Amino acid sequence: MSFRQSAKVALASLAFALVSTQVVAEPVVDKAAPAFSGKAADGSTINLADLKGKTVVLEWTNHDCPYVVKHYDKSGNIPALQKEAAEQGVVWLQVISSAPGKQGNVDGATAISLNKKRGATPTNTILDPEGTIGKLYNAQTSPHFFIINPEGTLVYKGGVDSIKTANEADIPKAKPYVKEALEALAAGKKVPNPSTAPYGCSIKYAG
Amino acid sequence: MLSGVGKYLRVFRGMAFVWLLSGAAVAHSQQGAQADRAATPQVEAQLVASVNAVVPGSEIYLGVNQKIIPHWHTYWINPGDSGNATTISWTLPEGASASDIIWPAPGRFSMGPITNYAYENSVTLLSKISVPSSIAVGDTFTARALVDWLVCAEECIPQQVELALSLPVVGNANETGEGSPLIAEAQAQVPVASPWEVTAQQSAIDPETAQGKLQLQVALSKDQQAQVQDIWFYPYDWGRIRQSDLQQRKNLTDVIQLEIPTGEAPAVIGDKLTGVLVIKEQQGIVRGYEINVPVQSLTSNQTAEGFAIGFASALLFALLGGVILNLMPCVFPVLSIKALSLVSHSNYSTVEIRRQGYVYTLGVLASFAVLALLLIVLKAGGNQIGWGFQFQSPIFVLLVAYLLFAVGLSLSGVFFIGGSVAGVGSSLTEKPGYSGSFFTGVLATVVATPCTAPFMAAALGYAVAQPPLKLLAIFLSLGLGLALPYLLLSCWPRLQRWLPRPGLWMERAKQLLAFPMYAAAIWLVWVLVQQAGVDAVIIALGGMLLIAIAAWLYDSTRTSTDGKRNLGNASVLALVLLAVGFGGVQVNLPANAAQKSAAADANWEAYSDERLQSLLAEGKPVFLNFTASWCISCLVNERVALSTDAVKKQFQQQGVVYLKGDWTNRDPQITAFLKKFNRSGVPLYVFYPAGQADSPKELPQILTPDLVVAAVSGQ
Repeated sequence: MSFRQSAKVALASLAFALVSTQVVAEPVVDKAAPAFSGKAADGSTINLADLKGKTVVLEWTNHDCPYVVKHYDKSGNIPALQKEAAEQGVVWLQVISSAPGKQGNVDGATAISLNKKRGATPTNTILDPEGTIGKLYNAQTSPHFFIINPEGTLVYKGGVDSIKTANEADIPKAKPYVKEALEALAAGKKVPNPSTAPYGCSIKYAG
Repeated sequence: MLSGVGKYLRVFRGMAFVWLLSGAAVAHSQQGAQADRAATPQVEAQLVASVNAVVPGSEIYLGVNQKIIPHWHTYWINPGDSGNATTISWTLPEGASASDIIWPAPGRFSMGPITNYAYENSVTLLSKISVPSSIAVGDTFTARALVDWLVCAEECIPQQVELALSLPVVGNANETGEGSPLIAEAQAQVPVASPWEVTAQQSAIDPETAQGKLQLQVALSKDQQAQVQDIWFYPYDWGRIRQSDLQQRKNLTDVIQLEIPTGEAPAVIGDKLTGVLVIKEQQGIVRGYEINVPVQSLTSNQTAEGFAIGFASALLFALLGGVILNLMPCVFPVLSIKALSLVSHSNYSTVEIRRQGYVYTLGVLASFAVLALLLIVLKAGGNQIGWGFQFQSPIFVLLVAYLLFAVGLSLSGVFFIGGSVAGVGSSLTEKPGYSGSFFTGVLATVVATPCTAPFMAAALGYAVAQPPLKLLAIFLSLGLGLALPYLLLSCWPRLQRWLPRPGLWMERAKQLLAFPMYAAAIWLVWVLVQQAGVDAVIIALGGMLLIAIAAWLYDSTRTSTDGKRNLGNASVLALVLLAVGFGGVQVNLPANAAQKSAAADANWEAYSDERLQSLLAEGKPVFLNFTASWCISCLVNERVALSTDAVKKQFQQQGVVYLKGDWTNRDPQITAFLKKFNRSGVPLYVFYPAGQADSPKELPQILTPDLVVAAVSGQ
């Protein structure tokens, strides 16, 4: 192969690689979760790469959304999941992608006090008012869940459970996808339903 | 200014939240009230009916109408990226039942990267209700609907109302009244069956990116394509496509193609893709078309390399597939008998047997070539067809069922043709000579086709997508495979030695092999019923009875004197013709319904100004339909409304003269008429009630049978 040919091949593969990384940006189950870093409610910076070795839960949220209210204020369902997860050493990160002036947009102090009021104990809350992380993960609803295993692979994306209503009476009847996924991970098993339909309010992105 | 709006929004949000918290209380207070209307700050809901009174044992429509304030929307059955479909829980009198919600075609709403399928302004969700016959005249039929919906603008609010509607029960169908106009309005928005063939193909899902593409092809003619302003596919199931992505439209020869990236729950190849295709025409008419098609695999033939490999392996697969076809329940008996004839004709010379083998192979190949050519011609004609296309014709299915049944009878020993069963395919040959072998080949191909469809769909699906020569090559390869076992057997006498010695067992084996033939015939009758309706059973089985009688008659007169024998043969011919003819006429009826309306006994005449004036002068009621072959909604309206039995009956009862004006070539007489109604194009539907030449009624551009019947009957 002449130098020219090699150069052409190299250029072509470079171009291809660039195109494919652009496509890969969307999170795919069983593939590496997209890397990000973001500002947290307590002022710290969270970098996904630093969390290798731990299971990470990303939970998109918006405290005023009736579907979030269903799983927090009315039932304590998600706070209970957070407690169980913390006991197993899971890092649970809420993500708020509501743009400034839109429903659910809060500052760090409010995010912390809201959690206190609701008995919620996530590891931290990432503030993403520009929607960068939200769009990176193609997060669509509040709540919308992504679970990343200790190797950094996305193992679950979808809804909190299977019954898509705002009625808390449906929680005991629903298939608890997130709980099921965390239990499977703790037991070293494969997540039984790795991709489900998320449900809830749309995420209030800017523009 | 901006901050002012923000403040207002915040106050409003606060109010909404307070309302939300008191939501349960609101619902309760309404439970007591039981009105047909209920309102939230965003939605006014009303329960409406297609009638003012019900008749026991009838079917009516109830609808939940939502009037939604600007910028807010409620959701379709598949809400898209977020949101939640409206649900209705019915409480009905004992014995009554309600259908699932019949959803009008949705719209799409995007906010940033999120797209929803939803309704704005006003929507009526219909349910078909069966009124029990046990309900007494004079009683009241009360329906209660507990309706849950999510209404969203920027934010979302789940709401619940209870609505109730009481209708008097009357004994006479003429006293039911016309009900709410909202029902007819909603019916016009409910998707109708697609009048065009639609196919769906999906590429393999890339394991790295989890992405693939779905291709929908809708067979719209070039003229019709020009009328399509917007075309969008809304799947019933979440995740089949990426809701937010553009659906890329391409106008191909007589096909509009939509290319859509697959979503997080793509369709499985072979499964059905269901949803609604919404088409907006240039003049603004919007209509939904029901899609329910199996998803085929989209073979990528982009690169030359992939193509070559694909072609070579397709040839090989076709050959192997052909060999396997020999074992299919419908083919095996025919070929076993052919093989057995080798055993019994062991007195034939090797050369003779070899020639028989060649001729048989030729018969198979010729039949496959004919099929391939037919496919090529049909494809060139713009038809979207696949292998087994011939089985889309009920008459073909019926004839093959008859053929298999006849072969079965012959194997059972009811009759023999020319002393050789293998001669059945060549029913005309008296002696089992070369033509006998040739037609056995043809017969093998004919009986093999019903088996190929399910087993070889993929390989043949590939073949059909190829240019003519390659298609032909693949088909011939398949034929060669089918012919191969017998060909080998006839060419190598050594193999023949492995065949068992002739004896009584041959007769038994023959009889046993009749049963797979009967089974295949039964299967085909089932296929026929899917195509032509339940009545086809009596036609098919009746025809088989005639064939059985004919077979018996043929066999019992076979050895009689010439006169009796001729009489017998004549009766046999008559019976078989009767079976085929009767079956053909009856079974083909539904398939040809559309053509029939255009035939001499059609219920319409061509429009002309003179004809209209003379009819109006006579005081006759006249229905005018101005249409054009490129007009999509015209075509659809004729299918779903004007050519339905209900409308035809109504026209007949009222003595309505139905005039159709064809504006395909912009007839100036019709252009002038359209102008009178301030229209620049078709469709235009006008009804002149009897004796009212001065007060024509104009009908909407989207018709339903009920709407036409109501207009014509003067309700």
